[in-house]
Amino acid sequence: MSVLMKAADPNAALQMLLKKYGVAAGTKAKIALCGESGALVPGDSFAAKDLPAGAAALLPWRVERRFVELKNLVDNKTVEKVSTLRFASMRAGANLAELLYREFDLCEWIGGSRIVSLFASFNAPHAANVIVKLASGVAASVEVGATLPAGSAPVDRHEIIAARGVASDRVVDTQMPQHSVYVMNAKGENRFTDTDAELYGLSEEEILAVRAAYKVLANEKIKSEWQEQHVNLRRLVQAALKSDAECVRVSI
Amino acid sequence: MKPIKIAILSLTHGHTRKYYQTLKDNPKLEWVAVCAENAKVKKVFEAGKHGVPCYDSEEKMFVAHPEIEAVVIASGNSEHLRQVEMCCQRGIHILSMKIPTFDMKEYDRMIELVDKAKIVCQIELEMHYNPVVHRIKEQVAGGAIGKIKSMQATNITLSPVWAFPWQGVPELSYGARVPLKDGDSRFRGGALCDHPHIFDMIRWLTGSDFAHIFAEVAPNIRADLEVEDMLLVSGKMKDGTSFLLDPSWSRMEERLEVPGPGWEVFPKRMEVNMVLNGEKGSMVADCFGPNVYHNGGPNDRYTVQYTYFDEWVGLIDEFVDCVRNNKQPKINLKWHRRTIEAMNACYESVQAGQPVKF
Repeated sequence: MSVLMKAADPNAALQMLLKKYGVAAGTKAKIALCGESGALVPGDSFAAKDLPAGAAALLPWRVERRFVELKNLVDNKTVEKVSTLRFASMRAGANLAELLYREFDLCEWIGGSRIVSLFASFNAPHAANVIVKLASGVAASVEVGATLPAGSAPVDRHEIIAARGVASDRVVDTQMPQHSVYVMNAKGENRFTDTDAELYGLSEEEILAVRAAYKVLANEKIKSEWQEQHVNLRRLVQAALKSDAECVRVSI
Repeated sequence: MKPIKIAILSLTHGHTRKYYQTLKDNPKLEWVAVCAENAKVKKVFEAGKHGVPCYDSEEKMFVAHPEIEAVVIASGNSEHLRQVEMCCQRGIHILSMKIPTFDMKEYDRMIELVDKAKIVCQIELEMHYNPVVHRIKEQVAGGAIGKIKSMQATNITLSPVWAFPWQGVPELSYGARVPLKDGDSRFRGGALCDHPHIFDMIRWLTGSDFAHIFAEVAPNIRADLEVEDMLLVSGKMKDGTSFLLDPSWSRMEERLEVPGPGWEVFPKRMEVNMVLNGEKGSMVADCFGPNVYHNGGPNDRYTVQYTYFDEWVGLIDEFVDCVRNNKQPKINLKWHRRTIEAMNACYESVQAGQPVKF
């Protein structure tokens, strides 16, 4: 009785989108979540190592709806005169560099300004805290952790504090991400959050990779911008490591 | 596939603006024209700079654009039969708003006209293209909670009457001026008429039909409306499923003439939540959440900023497929008839003070 198609795999879904919306470029493009020569790969996976030859970095969180809307709230001046960003991300088994890569990009993208300095405090490989300063004057705290037990769902929070208004991807008086559907039966509790009907059936990570790949294939300028940003983000991650190692504030 | 040349009629339905982006983005459609019901509506549309010609009358539009193959009937309920007749005469396919009509004679006339004209008439019940609803259907079909024993659901919103006045006029919304019940100064045509989704969804999820239905109206929270804005519905399906539905306008709004930021007073302007209790477990679902939240402009109130409203993408995809491949839409006039009957039964129950048996 389903009226939605179920996406089979990320690359088939990407080709479906390209065909549906008439994007000629990229019919041979391939997403490789774990990296592969010539493929489109999530940039954060290569925060601490070089991209495979000919690979292009994706910034998949930039197509995630909650971040798009948070950015819209800033860009459209729904919240005005941003002062501080408070970002946090915990992921089981993650590499701290990967986590920082994404959060640094979100700081710059949502904040609309470059990071110009940072001070980092690591307790590797478990956790790190960083205070960054944007060229606009906005300050941001970035907390990352890799100590969640295996199998745990990621936990994160992104809060924008402005002279006019606070915006967040977490509802007031809650600490954990909410979900669309909770199923409770004898096997325990299952949670689902579905936000993309066209790509229903793929995991959230796969959906974001497909949407990001589609975006760069449909717009060569974005592809170039993201490659430049990948280089910048790797430099920021290195600066954070240096700040921690030398216990100094690092200017970028 | 050759793009379908499509137009929009009237532009007075609250969902009209939801189509604009989809009609532009979907390469299987060519949005060729719209016609506005009045000068005020035309002015609002033209301010949006959509690059699509806007006509003052349907007749003028059809004459200027004989290539139109399909339309979105985006009008008040009282206009629907006339517009369906007009489309059937021209062999133009129809994407209908969620309430074709509450008059069952008119409804049957629509079925007859559509069948005779051999056109596609798809009813816009966009929840079927919502990814959370898809997950709910999949979990139910996969037996995650076993056979459904009860369903509780909300389809609650702010009231759109200040932006779309026909929704507060009994003749235009319900199709007639019928008192709710003896001693009540209000008339049929309010919140219930705006919220068919949960009446439809229980049919899909249980695969069963209504056995009986009971409805109770509450005092209006908007004293100046002449239609109901708060009501509760309960009953049973033929398979024994007990249900409790809330199709109210229980979220207060600013009285904007053009919807936009700051419309809501309560933080979340629209909610479709479901609780399903089955013989093996339970499921709770929010079809429009989670989101992001702020207390910024224009009113500095805590507000839900929705993160997805993509139902129209899938809905249009199905419509295109049906038109080009001669298929029957899942939500067609015949399927939807029972949902409308159930909504009418709510009004009958309010009037009688007793459940209505099917």
